[in-house]
Amino acid sequence: MVEHRTSAVTLGRGFWTATAVFAVLSALAIWFWTTTPLDIILPPVAAEPGAQIDSLLRFMAACGSALFIFVAGYIVYFAIAFRVRKDDAPDAIGVQVHDNHKLEFWWTIIPTAFVVLLSILSVRIWYGIQIAQPANGLTVEALGHQWYYTFRYPQIHGEITDEMHVPVNQPVVLNVTSADVIHSFWVPAFRLKADMVPGLINTIRFTPTKVGRYPIVCTEFCGTRHGEMDAEIPTENGKPNPGAQYFVVDTPANFEKWYHGWQVKNANASDALPTVSTGAISLAGGDAKAGGALFAQKCSACHAVGPFSQRIVGPGLKGVLHDPAHPNLVDGDPATPENVAKILQNGYKGDIGVMPNEAANGLSDKDIANLVAYLSSLK
Amino acid sequence: MAVATLPHGATAGHADHGEVDQLYVETRALRLQGFLLFLISDCVLFSSFIFAYLYMRNSGQSWPPPGINHLDVAFAALNSVVLFGSGATMHYALENWKHNNFGRYAFFMIATIVLGILFLSGQAYEYTNLYFKEHVSWAGSGIFGASFFTLTGMHGFHVTVGVIYLTVLFLQSVHGVYTKDKYFGLTAGTLYWHFVDVIWVALFTIFYLI
Amino acid sequence: MSTTVEHAGGIADHIHPEPQGFIRRYVFSLDHKIIGIQYLITGFVFLVLAGLLAEVIRTQLLHANGGFVSNDTYNEVYTMHGSAMVWLVIIPLITGGFGNIIMPLQIGARDVAFPWLNMLSFWIFPVAGLMLFSSFLIGAPVAGWTEYPPMSLQAGPGTSMWAAAIFLVGVSSTLTGINFVVTMFQMRAPGMTFTRMPLFCWAQLATAPLLMIATTALAAALAALFMERQFGVPFFDPTKGGSPLMWQHMFWFYSHPAVYIMILPAFGMISEIIPTFSRKPIFGYKMIAFSSMAIALAGMMVWAHHMFTSGLAPYLQLPFMILTFTIAIPTGVKIFSWVATLWGGKIHYTTSMLFALGFLALFTLGGITGVFLAAVPFDLHVHGTYFVVAHFHYVLVGGSLMGVFAGMYYYFPKMTGRLMSEKLGKWHFWLFFIGFNGTFLPQHWLGMLGMPRRVPVYDPQFQFWNDVSTFGSYVMTFSILLFFINVLVSIRNGKKSGPNPWGARTLEWQIPSPPHYYNFKNIPTVYGLPYDFSQPLPYKGLEEELTDSPVHVGAH
Ligand code: HEA
Ligand code: HEA
Ligand code: HEC
Ligand code: CUA
Ligand SMILES: [Cu+2]
Repeated sequence: MVEHRTSAVTLGRGFWTATAVFAVLSALAIWFWTTTPLDIILPPVAAEPGAQIDSLLRFMAACGSALFIFVAGYIVYFAIAFRVRKDDAPDAIGVQVHDNHKLEFWWTIIPTAFVVLLSILSVRIWYGIQIAQPANGLTVEALGHQWYYTFRYPQIHGEITDEMHVPVNQPVVLNVTSADVIHSFWVPAFRLKADMVPGLINTIRFTPTKVGRYPIVCTEFCGTRHGEMDAEIPTENGKPNPGAQYFVVDTPANFEKWYHGWQVKNANASDALPTVSTGAISLAGGDAKAGGALFAQKCSACHAVGPFSQRIVGPGLKGVLHDPAHPNLVDGDPATPENVAKILQNGYKGDIGVMPNEAANGLSDKDIANLVAYLSSLK
Repeated sequence: MAVATLPHGATAGHADHGEVDQLYVETRALRLQGFLLFLISDCVLFSSFIFAYLYMRNSGQSWPPPGINHLDVAFAALNSVVLFGSGATMHYALENWKHNNFGRYAFFMIATIVLGILFLSGQAYEYTNLYFKEHVSWAGSGIFGASFFTLTGMHGFHVTVGVIYLTVLFLQSVHGVYTKDKYFGLTAGTLYWHFVDVIWVALFTIFYLI
Repeated sequence: MSTTVEHAGGIADHIHPEPQGFIRRYVFSLDHKIIGIQYLITGFVFLVLAGLLAEVIRTQLLHANGGFVSNDTYNEVYTMHGSAMVWLVIIPLITGGFGNIIMPLQIGARDVAFPWLNMLSFWIFPVAGLMLFSSFLIGAPVAGWTEYPPMSLQAGPGTSMWAAAIFLVGVSSTLTGINFVVTMFQMRAPGMTFTRMPLFCWAQLATAPLLMIATTALAAALAALFMERQFGVPFFDPTKGGSPLMWQHMFWFYSHPAVYIMILPAFGMISEIIPTFSRKPIFGYKMIAFSSMAIALAGMMVWAHHMFTSGLAPYLQLPFMILTFTIAIPTGVKIFSWVATLWGGKIHYTTSMLFALGFLALFTLGGITGVFLAAVPFDLHVHGTYFVVAHFHYVLVGGSLMGVFAGMYYYFPKMTGRLMSEKLGKWHFWLFFIGFNGTFLPQHWLGMLGMPRRVPVYDPQFQFWNDVSTFGSYVMTFSILLFFINVLVSIRNGKKSGPNPWGARTLEWQIPSPPHYYNFKNIPTVYGLPYDFSQPLPYKGLEEELTDSPVHVGAH
């Protein structure tokens, strides 16, 4: 076996002095993280489980700073203390230690212990956030759109399009989903966020504790104006941008007023997705070829002749009548020629956007019959 | 490596083959390992799609999806037997090669290729049936159509490559490229063919049995 | 010890004559050293491009209301910045580049196992890179390097080009991984057991399975995305029965391991540089080797920590959180071992060593913020913000890129026979270190305060720290410019280095710089670990390497 000169290994005074300095610095860092208000790095917290997240951050930051001070401190200290000096022989070598099982044991065990501790703490706070929140509060629904949010409340018809209001100190169950691509719903002052995924409902639960107006921020990339889904972003002329939506925590009285106002305003709004009934159009004798020409003229700006997902403004229309995966039209009616004609006649405003009606598109009944014939010929 | 460190004496059994064979032994080890690693990567490719299919199938959608009738399990089982049969013939082909039995080797090799083509024809028949009779298509039948045609298509592509590969190997062996001691190409072909079989077991299970 | 033992007539003695002619020698070369240098050159060209894109990002963010480029251009820019940095810069530099040049030399092989495959892997890479960048011409992808559908299904045609290009890069990586594993398993010099293998090779050995397995999973995801975009095959579109979360699983199943692909080889280089310049054996050789494996293995099982807010079932968050925490333990073992290696050393301040020391400090900080992110409750606050951006630049720029620079200063003499300028090198280091922290430190609190990532405009209250960040990035750019000047000047005018300017002990330093075509005149026999500075070198059979004697083939 190779014989090495490990006997000369001692730590020396400098080492202990340095260690003491790092210990003091760490203590200062821990003191800092556990006592100072965190206003400089976090917005003031305004909802219930938010404070728990802050306490977790304090714990991690305190431990992390202490760890970093020791690691970086030793690097700097060793780098200075063990540099080659002028009077060293050019081939001078360092102390030939290969390992030290005791040391290695401890520097595996201590991080492991820390990981266990951190796991316990995180699981507890996770439990507080994900499981232990009151399940029956005010149930609100938020929908992400390109590029704004809409909200639905239990006793208000239709959708609310300006801001989201809730009363202070009342638990909220917020269900989020999306009408198009993935968005995210984040209120930095609440410390909580959930992604708005189309076809999936995610839930966050919390209790707002402070009256105020808090910006809602979208943190999942959602297209050209993703950045403007942050309520604090002014537009060029300094006015709030149209997608700017705040989360308003009201006093109960103000909330009632607001709530009632929307109940009245939306009294006639329909909860169902809007559909308009129509006098039937005769589809007999539709000419697919003429319809195709018309389609290229009037429709192709918004529709591809591709699968439903291939969107320009409106969906791709290749499978509109024959695709088994697309049994219903966007208005929920079965995909029959008659129902397509209905959409062409009346237009449709759904989740994706606005499909203009026959007047706006300049279509006669004959045109509609031709278009429907053309659409049924697509397979 | 083990081989390379052996002193000459240790390979005395093959002393008559001389230096070139040492080279062959080592390159064979390299190629075999490389080829196995390639098959592992390929297996991950299939596994990813299989995982995707199982994940989506279990994520709360109604199953089977609307508009999709049953698959023809009996026919597929028959076709599987064809494929597994070709695995057996492949095995015998290699064994006969090792025992210097060229005639039987040729018979089994051709049988393997023919069975492979038969399997592909069966798959083509199944596809046309699904597409024209059941209206199940790649892009139009949700995650089922997407996964079914992608996975079985990938597998079919592997079988096609395999058929071509085995044909080339066969022609090579006819032209004396391989000898009794040096036939790595045939080993690789056999491994590949068994790999394709094993993948089919997984696909058959997920699409036809569960 | 008879020399005939090593000349059993196998691959080691099977030497083809060095090809003549420029094309065979330098373009379609089969020589691992040339291929490695080709990777480095190509990777650095892409670093300049992707870095300039980063400066476009920072310049846009100089003002809260942007104004430098349009929203859509901005989205293209950071998408291409992220994709190019990951797939065209760090991964090729650190595996294809340094792995190719160093690993066969370190294990005493004459080349990799499949030289032809190696050439193929390389040539796929610039082609894929050009494809990726040419997508700017047809409307580059916009949805970030993560390309989450349905956004990526909506976006312009460049996204399909992106998928195809990344697919090709993946093929190249996979082939490289296979090549490296077989090389390290089959072609080590006699006596080079696994427990004597240099730590850089261990790092590559831990990386290779990730290259082979994780990358293939990404290939599947990319193929699915491509099929969905081009042929409407419904994998991810929820309106047709697909699942957007499926993509996230498939993508992160690759991309979390990918971050270890980007850091493990850098760890390996640090493990070579620190002992050399401390004149000490590496502390805890076995633990460092073993922890690379542990990180690679655990790294395959934590991918969903990128999906805590995206709708993972709450109970599923826990195992992913805790497994992610545990990765800190093997990583910590490495960090502590390197720090312990410094202790009692005779530390030489070369530029390479400075970068290695900087790496230790900055990577530790980035790793610690990684642990913060792994804690579900905290991640609910900062996911999708600049805190994440700060974390990954600390590990990627402060870690991987600094590792690349450390490796360049260290191995440049081996590649070219000349030293890089130490004076310029030190300017490079200090400006880079300052600029880097100026750029990315403020992003931590920007994120916590509420600044989301991937935005071309932001809340005006964040203006000040963004300006600091932007100026920091200009300093960093200037420092990298110094680096390139240094490389270009030193190639022609650098001081001659001789075979072993650093007094290093691994095999590659015992042969001429640059090495001969066939690497070793005699394949050496290895008797021990390379890191014992108090002992004679543990190699036999190297006597002729630095003489004029001809290459030795076989024991005829
Ligand atoms: C080189 C690349 C690299 C590396 C090495 C790492 C390492 C780690 N990363 Fe990072 N990460 C990225 C690159 C990398 N990451 C990228 C690119 C993203 C963003 C992708 C995107 O969304 O675009 C990301 C995002 C990311 C997230 C998701 C955040 C989000 O989107 O919400 C998380 C969450 O868990 C995470 C965690 C970690 C952890 C725990 C480690 C650990 O491996 C770190 C371990 C190291 C240490 C801990 C330091 C040293 C240890 C000690 C000194 C011992 C003692 C310490 C303790 C016990 C704490 N990373
Ligand atoms: C290894 C990976 C890597 C590296 C090295 C970098 C390097 C840098 N990154 Fe990047 N970054 C990513 C990986 C990386 N990044 C990823 C994965 C993302 C996420 C993308 C997404 O969201 O999808 C990201 C995103 C990202 C963002 C967030 C964008 C957003 O979310 O809106 C920012 C913002 O500041 C940024 C900045 C920088 C800067 C200033 C550098 C600097 O360090 C760059 C320094 C380098 C140079 C500037 C090159 C200089 C050279 C010259 C100028 C030489 C000129 C010489 C000649 C012509 C001879 N990066
Ligand atoms: C201004 C853009 C625009 C134009 C022009 C337009 N459409 Fe549309 N169309 C839409 C949008 C948006 C939708 C989806 C509405 C929703 O779901 O929110 C739509 C939906 C439809 C649908 C229902 C699709 C389904 O799968 O249920 C049909 C059919 C349709 N359009 C046909 C046409 C035809 C035919 C024309 C030409 C005369 C046309 N559209 C012109 C925007 C447009
Ligand atoms: Cu909505 Cu980003
Ligand atoms: Cu990760």
